Amino acid sequence: MTTAENGPSAARDEVLAIAASCNRFGLCISACPTYVLTQQENESPRGRIELVRRMFEKGGRPDAETVAHIDSCLSCLACTTTCGVPVDYMHLIDRARAHVEANYQRPIGERVVRALVAALVPRPPLFGFTLRAARPLKRFARWMPRRLKPLLDLVPAQDPSPSEPLTPGTYAAEGSRKARVMLVPGCAQQVLAPSINAATMRLLRRAGCEVVVPKGFRCCGSLTLHMGRDRQAQQSARALVAILRATEATEAIDAIVINASGCGSTVKDYEHLLGDSPAYVVGGRRVGQLAVDVTEFLARIGLPATAPNRALTVAYHDACSLRNRQRVTTQPRQLLEATGFAVRNIPESHLCCGSAGTYNMLQPAAARLLGERKAAHIALTDTAVVAVGNIGCITQLGRYCERPVIHTVELLDWATGGPKPASIAHIDPSPVSAPKIEQSPSQEAIW
Amino acid sequence: MVKAVAAFLTAIERELGADAIEPSVEAVERYGDTTMPSGGRRVDAVLLPRSVTDVVTTVRLANEYQVGLYPVSAGHNLGLGTRSPVRDGQIVIDLGRRMNRILELNEELGYAVVEPGVTFQALHDELVRRGDKFMISATSGPPLGSVLGNALDKGAGYSPYFDHFGTLCGFEAVLGNGSTIRTGDGSLDNDTLPNWPVSKYTIGPILDGLFAQSNCGIIVRAAIWLMPRPPVIRTFHATFERDTDISAIIDAIRPLKLTNFVPTLFRVANDLYAIGPEERAENLGRRPGAREITAEERRLLREKHGLGAWQASAAFYAGSEGDIAPMLARVSSHFLNKGAVRIIDHAQAQLIPSLLIASDAFSGRPSTAELRLLSWRPGGGAIWFLPGTPMSGRTAAELDVLARGLFAQHGFDYIIMHVAGGRFARSLYLILFDRRSAEECRRADACYRALTSAYATRGIGVGRAAIDYHGLHMDLQMPAFQQAVLAVKRALDPNGVIAPGKYGIG
Repeated sequence: MTTAENGPSAARDEVLAIAASCNRFGLCISACPTYVLTQQENESPRGRIELVRRMFEKGGRPDAETVAHIDSCLSCLACTTTCGVPVDYMHLIDRARAHVEANYQRPIGERVVRALVAALVPRPPLFGFTLRAARPLKRFARWMPRRLKPLLDLVPAQDPSPSEPLTPGTYAAEGSRKARVMLVPGCAQQVLAPSINAATMRLLRRAGCEVVVPKGFRCCGSLTLHMGRDRQAQQSARALVAILRATEATEAIDAIVINASGCGSTVKDYEHLLGDSPAYVVGGRRVGQLAVDVTEFLARIGLPATAPNRALTVAYHDACSLRNRQRVTTQPRQLLEATGFAVRNIPESHLCCGSAGTYNMLQPAAARLLGERKAAHIALTDTAVVAVGNIGCITQLGRYCERPVIHTVELLDWATGGPKPASIAHIDPSPVSAPKIEQSPSQEAIW
Repeated sequence: MVKAVAAFLTAIERELGADAIEPSVEAVERYGDTTMPSGGRRVDAVLLPRSVTDVVTTVRLANEYQVGLYPVSAGHNLGLGTRSPVRDGQIVIDLGRRMNRILELNEELGYAVVEPGVTFQALHDELVRRGDKFMISATSGPPLGSVLGNALDKGAGYSPYFDHFGTLCGFEAVLGNGSTIRTGDGSLDNDTLPNWPVSKYTIGPILDGLFAQSNCGIIVRAAIWLMPRPPVIRTFHATFERDTDISAIIDAIRPLKLTNFVPTLFRVANDLYAIGPEERAENLGRRPGAREITAEERRLLREKHGLGAWQASAAFYAGSEGDIAPMLARVSSHFLNKGAVRIIDHAQAQLIPSLLIASDAFSGRPSTAELRLLSWRPGGGAIWFLPGTPMSGRTAAELDVLARGLFAQHGFDYIIMHVAGGRFARSLYLILFDRRSAEECRRADACYRALTSAYATRGIGVGRAAIDYHGLHMDLQMPAFQQAVLAVKRALDPNGVIAPGKYGIG
């Protein structure tokens, strides 16, 4: 991935090859949230591919208009699900962001915000401290510089519900051991919703996993990668590769379990991210091969026994990183249904909620439109709670959605004997509405 | 002409506002992009009307300034022209950008009234949002294709509501002469028209057909009938081992469809049509410069995917699994008696991506999966050749030998699916080529023309045509028919402003 070892030409060659693979069928455009919002060609993947091609062919400093169109891309990868080729848009846009970061001088306000995000979010203790320190400033948001306001908006109004911190160590399986796994706790997630990691730990152990929580893990590199800071991302990736090596020095592990799907998408692609670092490429491949989303893994090994009376009707929101990048769509639904929840799909499920890593911090206007749009669709479903597999979506939807938004594993943990999640403490389980029966949904039809 | 276009655009901006004209040069350029051997067309401008009134104004001004308009609905007519005008220098009216509303969805009578920009995906999503009581008739084409645009180009699906033009009811059309008419029971001179979306046959001539594959006017709304979603849909798939089995397959399907024992059409896909979406020719480790794939390479692909030289797929609809089971048993034994080597049931098909596509199609779920077939060969060139065959095994086999030979002669992989009813099967041939290679473009063009000529010699035309060949096909029609069509065009669009040259008219 890096331009450091092989130089800019490797990135250029890769980008131009990807751009050349685009057949310009245009199947991507209407799947793209920014095209849906703006109806502008250059706000579509097809338009961006052409702009990125021209940017690399020309070389040097990109123009501001091209940078704006690259910045406005969510990297949701919905385009890749409808592409006829398929074009490797993910690596094209990552390369483009890195090129912009290396060759473009942003206005000072943007630079400050981006530097703050890149410095704070991947460092959980510092991020936590900053959130607490920034909370009193929320009331003064209107007087804050324009670019800082979106960051303040995202600061939670109160501390998350108390939860056992995930401390490094090895935790034994309950009952006979089925697997030995490493749990990657996610950087922002540890601070914003520690209950997710606690629920994941309980659930995995109850499912028969010995769980290793690595010492020294900070961030997988996903956030910085999507900001074009590829060297910082590679640094994070190399650290996780080293952690895995140390962990496996005593005994191999069966999976690296990830419960923040944004992280999962990046970790699964470490081989590419570290592709130019010979010392790490094999380790990157090993990490990528072991990486699984928590629902993928639970579907593979089986859930623990289900406790009764956990029935709720749940709207399942597909995080883009799970749906479009990792193609994990059936497992979370099947697990929820297997534990007694009734799962409802959300209309227009292919469209991003606007979280997209750092997108709601850096592109707040488009993020708001998408967040409101998604919340309106959720409101149409006859459901009590929204389940999702990514902390970014939980934060984003939590701002616009009236009903509780919760991580899938928290529901699964509760349904298999864990505590009831605090955010749904006020909701009583009730018999699930509309069980599946073989009858026509239309009163006008007889079959 | 350039001056006329500039003056026309100034008038459009004055009357409809600046936002009625696409501002991006790159976007306008892309409207001329096609998958055709001849390459793209020059588009002079793109207009973005938001209402019937805007369309009326646009047509009036086009008459005044004598410029050619080319209306597109969603602009996803891949392999047939995408959203490009037939000729250079026309002005595209993109109806999909802002006229994309579902105006009415009637769940008592089962119809939707839609504007041209409503896509299969949008209509499907809205039906799901309302409880999934009705289903669309999905196509093999892009989910983002227009429901109206597809129907007006005589597109089709696979369910009992497969005849998309046939399921349209009651148009509102802006004619080339600037007047607006309603068809069907909407033609009554009244403001209240309860039968407009449900009855086509009012007094007088049926004008609806004048707007199919033509250029007499711009349809701005129509009703489309919807089928209630069956509680249980179960597909079945019969695979056949040899290329020559097409005769037996067609003869086996005919009685099942003449009696409507099977409610859906049959998808009869050859190996490459079925497997192509999952594979790439360039990944087969082929020798440099190789053209069509070899018989051995085809055999290996079939083996890998567990499919045959042909696969016939269809579906049953019913209230329960129990209702379907005896029908499945009968149809399975019917196909095994006719030479099928394997029957793949619905559950097994869910695990085979190539057959899952058929499952989505019969279930009215839009999908892009089949479109991956367009990338079987690199380079993005694609032309659909769409003739048909009577449901006679002997004729189908003769035509298969003929087409197979012409594909081989021109160095292209033989990719074909028949969509079969009781009396007729539409044949979907796909010529895939590298449009970056002038030599391949020439060969693809020659292949299409050879196929057209060979079929025409046998008295067989096509159901739809790619824009490179609209004139070619119209020239094959009897002279009196051509004159009649032209007379209608002149009567309704005297200045020829609507899509000049489309389907060889005007």
